[in-house]
Amino acid sequence: MAERPEDLNLPNAVITRIIKEALPDGVNISKEARSAISRAASVFVLYATSCANNFAMKGKRKTLNASDVLSAMEEMEFQRFVTPLKEALEAYRREQKGKKEASEQKKKDKDKKTDSEDQDKSRDEDNDEDEERLEEEEQNEEEELDN
Amino acid sequence: MAAAAAAAAAAGSGTPREEEGPGGEAAAPQPQAPTSAPGARLSRLPLARVKALVKADPDVTLAGQEAIFILARAAELFVETIAKDAYCCAQQGKRKTLQRRDLDNAIEAVDEFAFLEGEFPISRQSFPPVFFMLLT
Repeated sequence: MAERPEDLNLPNAVITRIIKEALPDGVNISKEARSAISRAASVFVLYATSCANNFAMKGKRKTLNASDVLSAMEEMEFQRFVTPLKEALEAYRREQKGKKEASEQKKKDKDKKTDSEDQDKSRDEDNDEDEERLEEEEQNEEEELDN
Repeated sequence: MAAAAAAAAAAGSGTPREEEGPGGEAAAPQPQAPTSAPGARLSRLPLARVKALVKADPDVTLAGQEAIFILARAAELFVETIAKDAYCCAQQGKRKTLQRRDLDNAIEAVDEFAFLEGEFPISRQSFPPVFFMLLT
C-alpha cells in the first residue's frame, strides 16, 4: 500500500491532545512520533474495519454494526478495549435517543408554524442530518449494487 | 459540517465536545484499563474522518453510525495505549520527550501492535547514525 492520501489522517490537534492526556505532565512528544501515532491510528481503524467486515459477512449482513466492531477488537487481541467500548456505546445510544426525541419535538413544533423554516433547520442540526442521511443511504444502497 | 467540526478541533479552543473536567483523567493514571468516567466525552475524533477511513476499504459496503462511533472511540483508546507503551521506552532512556524510536520499540515489543510492523517506512531516526557508517 504505497499511497496514503493525507485526508485519511486523523486531525493532528486531537491526536496530540489524546496523547498528552494519556501521559504524565511534562512529557513531550516529537513531531515524528506524533505523526507516526496518527498514522498508526489510521491503520488501526482500517485493520479493525476489515476485521469487523469479516464478521458482518459471516452474518450475511452488508452493514457493519457495533457488535462486529467489538468482535473485531477481540480478534485483534484488544480485549481490554471491549468493556470501555461497551460503556461508551451505551452512553452514545442514550445520547442519540435524547437527540432524536429532541429533534422530533422540534419538528412537531415547527410544523405548526411555517413550512419554509424547515429549510433553515439544516444549519443548526448538522449532526442529526448526517445521521438521518446515513440511515437513508443505507436504505437506498441496499437496493442498488455496491460501487 | 464535518469541516467545521474539524476546524474547531484543530483550533483547540473551546471545542463544544469537551465535557471532562480539567485534569480529571490525568490525576488517576491507570496503565492497564483506559479510564472512561461516566459523563466523559463520548468521542473527540471527528466521525466524518473515521467514516472516510471505513469507506476506503473496498470490501465494506455500509457501516452503521454506531459502528463508526465505536471505531472512533477504539482509535482513541489505541492512541492512549500506544502512547503509554511508547512512554515506557522513553522512561527507560530517562528522556522526557517521546521519540519516533520509542514508538518503533513499542510496536516490536507489544504483540497486539504486530499489525503495524512493516506499515511504516524505516526512517533514519529509527537507526543511530553509526549504523549507516557501518554499511559503507
